[in-house]
Amino acid sequence: MHNILLIARREYLEQVRGRAFKMTTIGLPVIFALVVGVSYLSSIGLGANRHVAVASNDPVLAAQIRHNLLGDKQAKAQVIVAAPATPQDRALLLSKVEDGTLDGLLWVETAPGQTPAASYTSQSAGDFMTTARVRSALNHALLDERLTTNGMQQSAADALVEGASVTTYQARKDGAVVRTSAEASFWKGYVMAILLSMTTMLYGMNVARSIIQEKTSRIFEVMLSITRPSDLLAGKLIGVGAVGLTQIAIWLVAAAAILISPFASAVLTGEFAVHLSWVEAILFPVYFLLGYLLYSSLFAGLAATCETEQELQMYMPLAAAPTWLSFALILVVINDSNSVWSVAASFFPPTAPVIMFLRMAAEIPPAWQFAVSIGLLLLSIWGVLWISARLYRIGILMYGKRATLPELLRWLRYS
Amino acid sequence: MPIVELAEVTKAYESKVAVDHLSFSIEAGQMFGLLGPNGAGKTSSIRMMMGITLPDSGSIHLFGEPFQRASLRRVGYLPEERGLYKKMKVIEQLIFFGQLHGLHAADARQRATDWARRLEIEEALQKKTEELSKGMQQKIQFIGTLLHDPALIIMDEPFSGLDPVNAKLLEQTLLTLKDQGKAIIFSTHRMDQVEKLCDSICLIHQGRAVLSGRMREIKSRYERNHVIVEFEGSDSFLRSSEIAEAKNFSGHAEIRLKPHGDAQKLLHEASAAATIYRFELVEPSLEEIFIQTVGGKVDA
Repeated sequence: MHNILLIARREYLEQVRGRAFKMTTIGLPVIFALVVGVSYLSSIGLGANRHVAVASNDPVLAAQIRHNLLGDKQAKAQVIVAAPATPQDRALLLSKVEDGTLDGLLWVETAPGQTPAASYTSQSAGDFMTTARVRSALNHALLDERLTTNGMQQSAADALVEGASVTTYQARKDGAVVRTSAEASFWKGYVMAILLSMTTMLYGMNVARSIIQEKTSRIFEVMLSITRPSDLLAGKLIGVGAVGLTQIAIWLVAAAAILISPFASAVLTGEFAVHLSWVEAILFPVYFLLGYLLYSSLFAGLAATCETEQELQMYMPLAAAPTWLSFALILVVINDSNSVWSVAASFFPPTAPVIMFLRMAAEIPPAWQFAVSIGLLLLSIWGVLWISARLYRIGILMYGKRATLPELLRWLRYS
Repeated sequence: MPIVELAEVTKAYESKVAVDHLSFSIEAGQMFGLLGPNGAGKTSSIRMMMGITLPDSGSIHLFGEPFQRASLRRVGYLPEERGLYKKMKVIEQLIFFGQLHGLHAADARQRATDWARRLEIEEALQKKTEELSKGMQQKIQFIGTLLHDPALIIMDEPFSGLDPVNAKLLEQTLLTLKDQGKAIIFSTHRMDQVEKLCDSICLIHQGRAVLSGRMREIKSRYERNHVIVEFEGSDSFLRSSEIAEAKNFSGHAEIRLKPHGDAQKLLHEASAAATIYRFELVEPSLEEIFIQTVGGKVDA
């Protein structure tokens, strides 16, 4: 144990004193803040300021659609109406869409007793926001028209189709009811999941890189004459893991300081209300540590079989796969954090850390699910470590040639 | 009591037998040369002595007891594949090695400073390893090996890459350590160094010991059939019927006599043809014994 701690201490001090540690401690949160900020700001103006024409043989319906489109404050649309419109008018407006004078044309054709036929033509097939707004304006206008045709007063019909704003609250298990927003929860979960997956991968790869560097510098044989390979591996995992925890501690303290500041309480209200619970603050380092141990044990074994960092790069897709998988499930998890898929992914060890954090952003899962998730992670860490320790023990003394798969399988059989 | 004792040690990797029933022992105060061409099994033997790999059969005793890791605290090992932590300060690195060997940090620092003074590299202690020349790094590795005052020192090709001045300094240090009663194993394919420094040798070829024992005793087994002649004048005597092979370096000739060749007759012929400044009948060098023994199949 004495040697393991000495090796861990050396590893810790070398990394914490390094430039990379200082840069990532400051740089990563700044980059994430920028990414999230830019994503949010760019989403505000998405599909806005469009110049749209509404053409129909029904002037009342066309006017109602225009009214609805102009009523959408976020759209800031300019709407011209051509009604009653002829096929010649339609052709003229379409030519304006083609030359870019107009962003889109909504053509609606009605006939008594039949469902109206509508088409929307625009230059950009991917402008889904404008398409959605146009569709919504049309449907509301049709509903409004049918209600008034059936004898309802115009004002009553308008009131009926107008949507109500919903203020969201979260009822917590401790009995507290806090104002929150689905958007803020999504961003919080998203940022924490990215930070978790990035740090897990970063430090997992750090272990691998450090093993390759030591292999290149030929220090291993000196070290193996003093200490066991298992002590070397354990010391390295502990040392690098402690560096990651130090970084996370710095981030958590900084986040807490920002959240309790008067600036944050002024800004992070209403739809931006962010609540970081104690459970999240405690489980973030726990899941980091478990995720890190899973990744780093796997990559320690693989790195021992490599000669250069370039060779190690071959395994990068393997490292990134759980992250891709986790983020592919992000919408499923955020929308229904208790669905079968969400729960299964939070139990599956490679995706468990990130998915559990995404689930926690929506709702804190029951304690037994944490226990299963952590238990399965510990079990898989043990299994991966068992394999990696065998690869590591032999791989670190193998120079000059890349190990083949049959060789790796033979190494696993050595006792 | 032997400090190291190998008895019938065998180690095979896949189908290749790296060490084949190897036996030898080393006493305190002895400098022991482990010789052999590349791939002969020297490093494999040393790795088993250090517990880095385990023998398939046979036994290894260190300090009179069957191998146990605890004994390694009394061993200093400088492997051929050696390295240092590049980003670490030299003094911190030496303290780290000392602590791994069971020294207290303050003690390790004091010893590292003393050794650095002795090997004339005090100024390197506060630098990072990557700032040092290869020779200086080798001296640091040398200090790291000796810092904990081991009773057994194992050095695999310790002089490779060193300039003559530093090689001499390390040679002197090793001789001093030997005089202090340390057992030293010196693995190399540089015969001249072994001949100069070692009391005993074991020559390994294809994993087997083909020659072992005290240096004097081994050399005495071979006939004194080598002659060195320094001369001025005609070299016609080099075509004498007593000579099996001769190399002439403009006035300096190295001659191997035929079996039972007559050295006195050759001296007579040489003095008749040229002025002789030196005529010396010498025993074969270790290199010649080595080549004779392994049949010239040396890729070293």
